[in-house]
Amino acid sequence: MNKQELLRLSWENLWRMKFRTILTIIGVVIGTSSIIVMVSIGNGAQKSITDELSGVGSVTTLQVYQDLSSMGMSAVSGGKQKDKVILNDDAIKDMKKIDGVVAVTPVVSLNGGEIELNRDQYGVSLMGIDYGVLKDMRYETTSGKKPGANDDNSVILGKEALTSFTLTGISAQPEASTINMEDLIGQNVNLIVKRTNAAGEEEIRSQKLKVAGILESTGGNEDYSIIADYQLVTELNEWQTGVKSNVKKNGYAEALATVEDSSVVNSVTSEIEAMKFTVFSMQQILDSMGSVFQMLQILLGGIGGVALLVACIGIVNTMTMSIYERTKEIGIMKVIGASISDIRNMFITESTMIGLIGGIVGIIISIALSLLINLIAGFFIGGEGSVTISYITPGLVIFALVFSALVGMLSGVRPAIKAANLSSLDAIRSE
Amino acid sequence: MLGKEDIHILKGINLDIEQGEMVALLGPSGSGKSTFLNVLGGLVPPTSGEIKIRDYLISEMTENELCLFRREHLGFIFQSYNLISTMTAMENVALALTFAGVKKEIRRERAKEALEVVGLVDRMGHKPSELSGGQQQRVSIARALVNHPEIILADEPTGNLDSKTSADIMEMITRLNREENQTFVIVTHDPDTTKYCTKVIHMQDGLIERSVNQ
Repeated sequence: MNKQELLRLSWENLWRMKFRTILTIIGVVIGTSSIIVMVSIGNGAQKSITDELSGVGSVTTLQVYQDLSSMGMSAVSGGKQKDKVILNDDAIKDMKKIDGVVAVTPVVSLNGGEIELNRDQYGVSLMGIDYGVLKDMRYETTSGKKPGANDDNSVILGKEALTSFTLTGISAQPEASTINMEDLIGQNVNLIVKRTNAAGEEEIRSQKLKVAGILESTGGNEDYSIIADYQLVTELNEWQTGVKSNVKKNGYAEALATVEDSSVVNSVTSEIEAMKFTVFSMQQILDSMGSVFQMLQILLGGIGGVALLVACIGIVNTMTMSIYERTKEIGIMKVIGASISDIRNMFITESTMIGLIGGIVGIIISIALSLLINLIAGFFIGGEGSVTISYITPGLVIFALVFSALVGMLSGVRPAIKAANLSSLDAIRSE
Repeated sequence: MLGKEDIHILKGINLDIEQGEMVALLGPSGSGKSTFLNVLGGLVPPTSGEIKIRDYLISEMTENELCLFRREHLGFIFQSYNLISTMTAMENVALALTFAGVKKEIRRERAKEALEVVGLVDRMGHKPSELSGGQQQRVSIARALVNHPEIILADEPTGNLDSKTSADIMEMITRLNREENQTFVIVTHDPDTTKYCTKVIHMQDGLIERSVNQ
């Protein structure tokens, strides 16, 4: 029997028992779509988090620390703790020489600053970086422009730098910011830094800062900071603590290395680690999260798999029932010249068709469900643009199709062998 | 043979049938005539002994070889017609050709020819339930003919039919036997049927009682 005839005959046999075939197919549809939807939710979670984290700048920026444990970040340590290496200007110069490194800057931070706008006080922290290499770093401004190398008093505001809650001077209620940061571009703001002197009196220093631009979101600390020149921040720090900083001896707490693109992240990381510094990059987080999401997908896919297993039992049941009903017919076919393989192929083709049709319908339904989930999620979560909770990749669609057909085929094997081995005489005599 | 214990239904049969003969196997029920026919057609394997059709040793063939052999050389007619109820007359006749891998157009053509031989071309679109017993048996004869087999094995072909229709069917079989030189082996318990045959074999208790040429 040729393939075309086999397909035609199996198709006709299948639709002879419309109701039962459709019920069996529905089982496969539920199985397939639960796998797809479950995995797509895993995909969606991964996609939205990776998209969030892998903004243009953050993946290609490496954070370099000289001693991780002192930073209180040992829990996320990827590197080893080293002794007696100092993250000073010499070390930064050495890092600049590494292949693929575009810019290296020390990071000096200042916490506890305040800015008063419209009578509200905003607690701010400053992040000081080398303005000399700012142009090479992946800090982009959404509005305004980057300060040049000599714009010592210019700053870039992180996207969220002024939106954090703050205690107002009068009422003790936290309030959301009402500041439109765009309006501040080109304006001067007053940064207030306080210290307590030896006599126990509070001293206040006021520093004029010119807002040059707003920083495009990086997903990192920068979003909540004001970026300023490191020399200015160092000076403010020295005033606040009353201690002269000794970079040569103590080094910087942190440095940022910007690399060409994400392909050199790993090689640069290992070279800096060879210099006995601790490196921390978004890439590492993404790598470790990848395995977490893989686990999540396997787990969710497994839940869907149970539904498909039930569907699989349904196919076996349908095919076995079908043999009992068609015993006589199988006998007739064998008597008039159907070979054992003809009968076997006929039943396997029928069950594969159930699997395949179920798979195709399941995919269509999953795509619709996925759209619906994202729509509803978007409605509840709100925000601009579309929300990705469920994300169906082409690979997932192909996998589902092949898998459902395979499940159908395998489910049909045992019933098919049973049918093919029926004694033709017994079969033809049965009613 | 069919139960768990071996019961010897056929106890020693030695018989030669020539090409073009029309043989009746006559005997009371339980005499082993149907079993003999099934053994001939390879539907039941003999526990011992040899069955040879032309140069093919049926008794030594595997199940799959038997299927292919039946497809090429044998046609079957049953008392209860054994048509597939969901298929039309045409489809039932063409099914045997489907398994042989014959192309669709040729299949239709040959099925139509076979239905013409049995005089049922006008009913070829009908399903078995829409046909009378005699018509159904004629469809099954057409199905047996469609491969142009050398041998047609018929198990009580007129068993379910009234005498008038029985006579029609037997006359048709006789005509085919004469015109196509096809060999017929017909199981029957009806002495009327035997008068169409060239040889009558009387069976009793799994043995040939006597063989009469007529």
